[in-house]
Amino acid sequence: MTGHIWRNPLYFWGVEGAEKEVPSIPHKSPQDVWDETTTSKAPMLPVGRLRYYYKWPGHGGLTWPRFRYWGTRRRALNIRSVYNPKTMRLEKTIVDKRPIWWVLGLLAFMLAPLVMPTSFQNTLLTAGATFSIYAAINLCWMLIIGTAGIYSLASYAVVGAAAFGTSWLSINLGLPWWALPLVGAGIGLVFGMIIAVPAIRLDGFYYALLTIGLNELCRVYTLQSKQFGSSTGGLYGADTYIPQGWDQYDQSLLAYYACFGVMLAGLALYRFIDGRRLGRILKMAPEKREAFAEATGVDFRRARIWVFVISSIGLGFIGGFYAAHYRGVSFSIFSFDTVLLGLAMLVIGGIGRAEGAVVGTAIVILLDKVLLSTGPLRLILIGLIMLGVVLFLKGGLFGIKAQFRAWRDKKKSERRSMRAEKGGEMLPEEATETKDKDLLYWRRYDKMQREFLKTVISPELIEEHRKKPLGQHSEPLERLLLYFRRAPQNDKYAIVAVEPFKAYRIVALSGQRGVAPRIVEDKIYTSTDEAYHGVFLRRVQDLLES
Amino acid sequence: MDVGFILTNAIVLACIYGTLAIGLSITWSSVGLINLGYGFIFALSGYGAWLASQYISTNGVVVLTAGVLTGALGGLLVCALAFIPIHDKPNFTVRGLIATLAISLIGTQALLYVFGPRSKNLPDIFGFWKINLAGIVLTSDKIGNVVVSIVVVTAVLLWMRSSRRGLEIRAMMMNPHAASIVGIGVRKTGFYVMAITGGLAGLAAVLLSQTYYISPFGGLAPMIKGVSIALCGGLGSVRGAVIAAIILGLNEALTARLLGGQYVLITQFILIILILLVRPRGIAGILDRAREA
Repeated sequence: MTGHIWRNPLYFWGVEGAEKEVPSIPHKSPQDVWDETTTSKAPMLPVGRLRYYYKWPGHGGLTWPRFRYWGTRRRALNIRSVYNPKTMRLEKTIVDKRPIWWVLGLLAFMLAPLVMPTSFQNTLLTAGATFSIYAAINLCWMLIIGTAGIYSLASYAVVGAAAFGTSWLSINLGLPWWALPLVGAGIGLVFGMIIAVPAIRLDGFYYALLTIGLNELCRVYTLQSKQFGSSTGGLYGADTYIPQGWDQYDQSLLAYYACFGVMLAGLALYRFIDGRRLGRILKMAPEKREAFAEATGVDFRRARIWVFVISSIGLGFIGGFYAAHYRGVSFSIFSFDTVLLGLAMLVIGGIGRAEGAVVGTAIVILLDKVLLSTGPLRLILIGLIMLGVVLFLKGGLFGIKAQFRAWRDKKKSERRSMRAEKGGEMLPEEATETKDKDLLYWRRYDKMQREFLKTVISPELIEEHRKKPLGQHSEPLERLLLYFRRAPQNDKYAIVAVEPFKAYRIVALSGQRGVAPRIVEDKIYTSTDEAYHGVFLRRVQDLLES
Repeated sequence: MDVGFILTNAIVLACIYGTLAIGLSITWSSVGLINLGYGFIFALSGYGAWLASQYISTNGVVVLTAGVLTGALGGLLVCALAFIPIHDKPNFTVRGLIATLAISLIGTQALLYVFGPRSKNLPDIFGFWKINLAGIVLTSDKIGNVVVSIVVVTAVLLWMRSSRRGLEIRAMMMNPHAASIVGIGVRKTGFYVMAITGGLAGLAAVLLSQTYYISPFGGLAPMIKGVSIALCGGLGSVRGAVIAAIILGLNEALTARLLGGQYVLITQFILIILILLVRPRGIAGILDRAREA
């Protein structure tokens, strides 16, 4: 700093009062502040900014012809193919990879019996069959809870009623096994009609509570009635599709694949209700938004009755199959714990998606079967998982991705708002409200200028100004004074002569015609130069404070 | 099987189930939580009372107090787990419902694990005596049940009507947002409400245990009865709950007399469905919209 001097060019012209050399500061470029302001300070991490998709290469002219399911416009995979404008190559992106996962998962489930260890073979095959049946039930239930958004807890009651009805018919009237699911579907239809009627009028929790009551009603009724086997704990002896002459392994294998078939049927039903017109209508008219749906011409009542009836037919079918599979049914299908476990399956997987129903079922059945020896502890564990999922996750396990992304976006925007600099620059909300967009850039420029001028203020400059408030100054001081002089009239400092040539005082202009300037301080300066320097010091003070 | 016996039974059960229904109703209308963990609180307080009778004293007052206190504790537990963490999150009502169901699952299984499947019975807290009133024999437990439940529920309602805390709870029932704006803490009031309603469940548990046994899953049937009454009367309405308790009690008594005991639940649900089809918000529920938020 010291040792730098500014040579006054006016000195050689013999201007009065011009000194030859004035101590000054080294040159500072305004460009530095500009560069500092305009460079991005956001850390550019190599991952996590954009979604990563693998880009498959395209094949020449085969951009547009694609496989479609016959009679529909649906494709097996949602593939987006675009030309990359930089590389001029065709790039194919699989937008939705879920069908691939589904096919792989179902294939694995289908081939699983080949690799099962022989010691656990029976247990695993039985568990697989149970899983498939419960997954099918949960898929039908998900149509009501997820797609229609109606909290019906009577789904297991429908299954149980169909199972009990068909078992009774099979035992007493000798109904063959292949008729059981069909008769069960009929029973389910009747039941579905009955439970759909209150759903038109009641909403939300009234309906949930009512259906819990219906479930309990079924339990108590079957528990008390002799013909439904109140003494044996259930109704057993129905006809079964499993030939009794086969050996144990073949029976289990047949049961495994039969149940797998039922689950596939459940998936198909879910796909055809949820993904098509009825599902769209139901998702458009969830609870508390019925009025809007109705106003747009959606007959949500009919849609709700339809989904109830269809899913109840499905549930009844599964109930009949259940009876044919287990050769009967026990009261435990009506118990509150069954409903709770079923709900746990849906909630853990994530309400409103088929993969949630299936994977949630798999998790709960696995815990239930693997930890069978621990007794009530396994149910406590399942309950804890359910509680944790409800408290911390918005959409179950399959909602984690979306929830994590939302959380990351929130954090991103928080950090962005922390980075946003204030002091002169407009805040984003303010900026959108401002009519004169020029003001935004003026403010930004003004801020940069002030940043720069703050760096040049030094004792040398102040001393230079004190010596000679008017006239030619060194380059940095000249910049500073030009900035000060260009300030708007509003609140600009000025001096008034209290007594000419003897007493001066600093005032601030009001900036408005007719409004008197206000007195800034009581100090009396004895000369104009001294008063000018006082004004300068005040302005420097204000600049440093801004 | 005379009419007087059935009628007195119906009145006793109506009092107990009415207590439960009022508890559920207050919970729903003030904190917006459908407490399906109520059956667990019920069973828990039964076990609390049983422990007190085993280890402290078989005195009626002690057992009853222990049951009520355990119930209040259970209510606080449910509040801390299912209300405090998610009450300001999206989809609270559904998530709260599922959370209380999860608590119910955990709690009843934990009770099963700790106390075993064998049911317990409590000592007779009202002693052994009976009076004959115009041909109707009234036993001590019936009179005790009716008197205690009516006295306690009346006391709770009076407290809600006259005290500062009661004012806060009633403000929450009317409009939770406005209540929080004028400085009524939602969480604090939630704890009060859940403690009181839990205490009511405990009371009902001890009273009902004079007739039935205490078992881990014994809370389910009373909860469903209570829920039915609360539904039928209109969630959030104490007066409606009382009317519904009387109607359903009468229905129970009449069905048992005319058709037989196994048809009680069927007629009860047909009645409830009919009432709800006519008045979707219950007998006393006049609100056009359900409580939101």
